Amino acid sequence: MNCEQYREAIAAEPSFDGGAGHLSECSACQAYRSEMLALEQMISRALALDVPELEVPELPHIETDNVVTLSKRRVSPPAFLAIAATVVLAAFVGFRMLGGGLEPQSLADELLAHIDHEPAALRISSVAVADARLESVVPADIAHLDHGAGLITYAQSCKIRGRDVPHLVIQGEHGPVTILLMPDEMVSAPQTITGESVNGVILPVGDGSIAIFGEREESLDRIERKVLDSVTWST
Amino acid sequence: MGVYHQDMYRYAAWLSRDKAIAEDVVQEALLRAWKSLDALRDETSSKQWLLTIVRRENARYFERKRLETVDIDNLTASQSALLAVEDDKELDDMRQAVYELEDDYREPLVLQVLMGYSTNEIAEQMGLKQGAVLTRLHRARAKLAEKMDR
Repeated sequence: MNCEQYREAIAAEPSFDGGAGHLSECSACQAYRSEMLALEQMISRALALDVPELEVPELPHIETDNVVTLSKRRVSPPAFLAIAATVVLAAFVGFRMLGGGLEPQSLADELLAHIDHEPAALRISSVAVADARLESVVPADIAHLDHGAGLITYAQSCKIRGRDVPHLVIQGEHGPVTILLMPDEMVSAPQTITGESVNGVILPVGDGSIAIFGEREESLDRIERKVLDSVTWST
Repeated sequence: MGVYHQDMYRYAAWLSRDKAIAEDVVQEALLRAWKSLDALRDETSSKQWLLTIVRRENARYFERKRLETVDIDNLTASQSALLAVEDDKELDDMRQAVYELEDDYREPLVLQVLMGYSTNEIAEQMGLKQGAVLTRLHRARAKLAEKMDR
């Protein structure tokens, strides 16, 4: 490792602990490291903004159907308490914004929210998921999927409205494109979702539907055709 | 709640560079999280999940409002409030320098320094390759160091 390489590494990650050999022999890099650590401390202080205090008032009644219990969520106590406490606040905010009640989510909202939950899915990648993985996520009793849709870089079986739904990601021209195969989720007509960072569509397919979401700039027409050509429901 | 809410607020504040917008974004994000909590299957990723929702809500907010680029010399009261610090000139200068960083550099820096994300996690969150993240972090610090030296 030379000076340039060491300095690039430590400027990108001040906690970088490689290059010990070089560091021990280079006083200039030792000085640079000290400068970077001092800079880091100052950056850290500057970023730590004061956070406004939030008051959580007595919560309004919540319909028990909307409450997810600990056992159902299978969440360990410390993590659950942290997330639940955050959600208590959300409940307050939600009730204030919705005038006292929670509205049922539309399918489009639920799908968008689901995509938010899986940031790992929206990774730019050129590595296809293994065939075995794909077969387990899209089992033969749900659908037959050929390789015409494009390079599938993510596959996960997810719960949407209580049903197992294959969640796939292919790579579009402007980034990852999410495909959700919903053989039991019937929609009467195509639904277009635009204008909020995403460009999406829910297409009726037989007795079910297929949702496709890409970046706002993504042109979905070509992808829609490919996906529809490559998927056949098994039931 | 303290930990998550603080992280969510600070992330939103540095993304939007505006205290009032940050509060709106966090409220929207919490509401969205509440409505879809059932889909959170891995409790170890709850912080990342919440920050991802903040990121998306911030993008939605700016799409809705179609805000213009911030001009450091013509800040609104809410924008200026973000920069208000104690009697510490150096800290004041650094906060302004971070404020003036381009979004592409400021966001990975916030995720690394404030949220403790690894460069891999930042790449995942921002949809970038790890090499791109390393480059942005390197440049971000170089820009800050240069501004502080002036």
